[in-house]
Amino acid sequence: MTTTVQPPAPAPVRASRTRLGGLRRYLAPEYLPIAGTVLTLVLMLVVGEVRYGGARGFVSPKLFSNLLQDNAYLLVLAVGMTFVVITGGIDLSVGAVVALVGLVIATLLPLGVPLPVVLVLGVLIGTVFGLLIGVLVEYFDIQPFIASLAAMFLARGLCNVVSVQSLAIKDKGFGALAGWSLKFGEGRDIWKINLSMIVAVLVLAVAYVVLHHTRFGRTVYGVGVGDRGNAIQLVGLKAGRTRLWVYIISGTCAGVAGILFAFYTKSGFNLTGVGMELDAIAAVVIGGTLLAGGGGFVLGTGVGVLVYGLIQVLIAREGLDSWWTKVFIGVVLLVFVVLQRVIAVRRRA
Amino acid sequence: MTGPTVELTPDRASRPAPAAAPAPGLVRRITHHQLFWPVVALVALVVLCGLKNPTFLTIELRDGNLFGQLVDIARMSATPLLLALGMALVIATGGIDLSVGAVMAISLAVSLTYLDGAANPASVGTAAVAVLLGVAVALLAGVFNGFMVSVLGIQPFIATMILMVAGRGIAMLITQGQITTVTSAPFKFLGSGFVLGVPTPVIVALVMLVLVAVLVRRTALGMLLESIGINREASRLAGVQSRNITWLVYIVCALLAGLAGIVYGAPTMAADANNIGLMKEMDAIMCVVLGGTALAGGKFYLSGTVVGALILSTIERAVVIFHVPSQITPLFKALVIIVVCVAQSPRLREILRDGLARLRPRALPEVAS
Repeated sequence: MTTTVQPPAPAPVRASRTRLGGLRRYLAPEYLPIAGTVLTLVLMLVVGEVRYGGARGFVSPKLFSNLLQDNAYLLVLAVGMTFVVITGGIDLSVGAVVALVGLVIATLLPLGVPLPVVLVLGVLIGTVFGLLIGVLVEYFDIQPFIASLAAMFLARGLCNVVSVQSLAIKDKGFGALAGWSLKFGEGRDIWKINLSMIVAVLVLAVAYVVLHHTRFGRTVYGVGVGDRGNAIQLVGLKAGRTRLWVYIISGTCAGVAGILFAFYTKSGFNLTGVGMELDAIAAVVIGGTLLAGGGGFVLGTGVGVLVYGLIQVLIAREGLDSWWTKVFIGVVLLVFVVLQRVIAVRRRA
Repeated sequence: MTGPTVELTPDRASRPAPAAAPAPGLVRRITHHQLFWPVVALVALVVLCGLKNPTFLTIELRDGNLFGQLVDIARMSATPLLLALGMALVIATGGIDLSVGAVMAISLAVSLTYLDGAANPASVGTAAVAVLLGVAVALLAGVFNGFMVSVLGIQPFIATMILMVAGRGIAMLITQGQITTVTSAPFKFLGSGFVLGVPTPVIVALVMLVLVAVLVRRTALGMLLESIGINREASRLAGVQSRNITWLVYIVCALLAGLAGIVYGAPTMAADANNIGLMKEMDAIMCVVLGGTALAGGKFYLSGTVVGALILSTIERAVVIFHVPSQITPLFKALVIIVVCVAQSPRLREILRDGLARLRPRALPEVAS
């Protein structure tokens, strides 16, 4: 569960046979960002409880259920983004892909195309955009930032071709899928689990297994070290087309997120998801993934999304205007980026 | 031909001096010049528009002021050019500045909010103070960006992204979420007036272009920027003040962005914090890329950037002339960026040379930390 590949620095005492060995492992510098993430989450929950706890309590299953319901699409996006960021890349196209998928769903369903076909198509649109970026990055050595920027323009342009009006999705089957939920609890404390939440948690679980328990996952980390793949060659992994695959994964996640976002809004609009890619990147950074590549935890990304959602909830409960959200997200992002930088410098020292 | 031919002089100093012996083939020299393809693209666009719509190429004098489609294109180019000038310098050092759009919004919000509260918004003095305030705030933003990049050593992409996210929020705070609208004739003049028959934004952009060109091409600064972009560490060891110079370019970039915000918002006098400068950073990056400057840092071309800005505005205008729905503009931009980047990619030449059979993913490039 550690970042497998490290620069040849004097490694912290790892396999010491003392009883502290296990504990000490978690005091290694690579766990500092994630500790910061968890601390931030706890702090925000405490602040929420103290300020709005009242008789009914702030921290409850209902709170988490709502957080996950409102941010399911963001979680899926951020999980895909985590793969890309660990390799030291970035994917700016995801917000535009979400908008495009929503519009395609809203356009195809009234034409009588069967629902399963439409959903699969939606995911495939994301995959194709991921493939495009991956090819540009892997085969033409174009910077990820530029390649994904071009893909973002492409997706937005296609959105405008499809429609510039907001299209409502009135399909019955689609509505049933979006509305399905399991309810728990009583009266005002009722909380539910819906399809979006299940999908998002599944994506997170699969990503965790892939990143931390497969050869491919280790290769992703190794590529992020950025020494022309030499380090991973030495431990017997092949860099191969890993960079191509991470963009395909990110694009596919964007396709899934597009469907979840359509579930959430029941409409398609060409201006949805402007800035969504930045929210996803922010969640990844807050979740403790190193932007320089080579380190990070996909579960941390999950916590990062919760922190992001909580910022919005707290600002709404404070009665502050919505634009404070952007300022706060910026501040939190700043703190985490500086923290990462400090850790990196200390590790080198 | 349009204006830019006159403006290409500042770069002369950076061109390799012609060899004493007549170089083999003037044609070859011309076609291999870095400005060749951007200029060809621009001329082709203008000619196409002219064929489609003959009035496109006419420029007329009305009340001593120039009017016409080409003048409009020059006017529309002012904002992207101001942004792209700063962006070119930042990209030369191997960085990027994503916050320029947000800085535009902040500067305009500050200027107009000050005018809104001023006793006499119509006086020249008040308008001047408003502009200075807006630019001063942009300066602060630049200091912040530069500090993050040069002192803390955070990747430029991320450091400037923070302000990109938070900047719009800050602009909204300044305007209290309203679209501040005021009237001030001198301020409005900045965006829609004429100086000696030429639109003011064009004049502002040209003055800045000359200033920047003199700064980087008549001093050693341009060369130092390129050396930092090529190898920061080697430059530092050679005695280049890479930290301070890097800091400086982010400040210059933000200053120009602030000015661009004011020029962009002056005609309407409405500070719409949500939409002013939205996606403009992409336009600026595109102008720089079109001008032949590689995004990896190193050599940069101001003249190419000017041509890039003109191409961008011409594309936007061409879309109207050819009756293409204007929503498709991003699609055009995307295709142009992809084509230019792939064409610039050294890998493409390898592939063309070796044939597709040898197409194998290469080892990874060094990631600059």
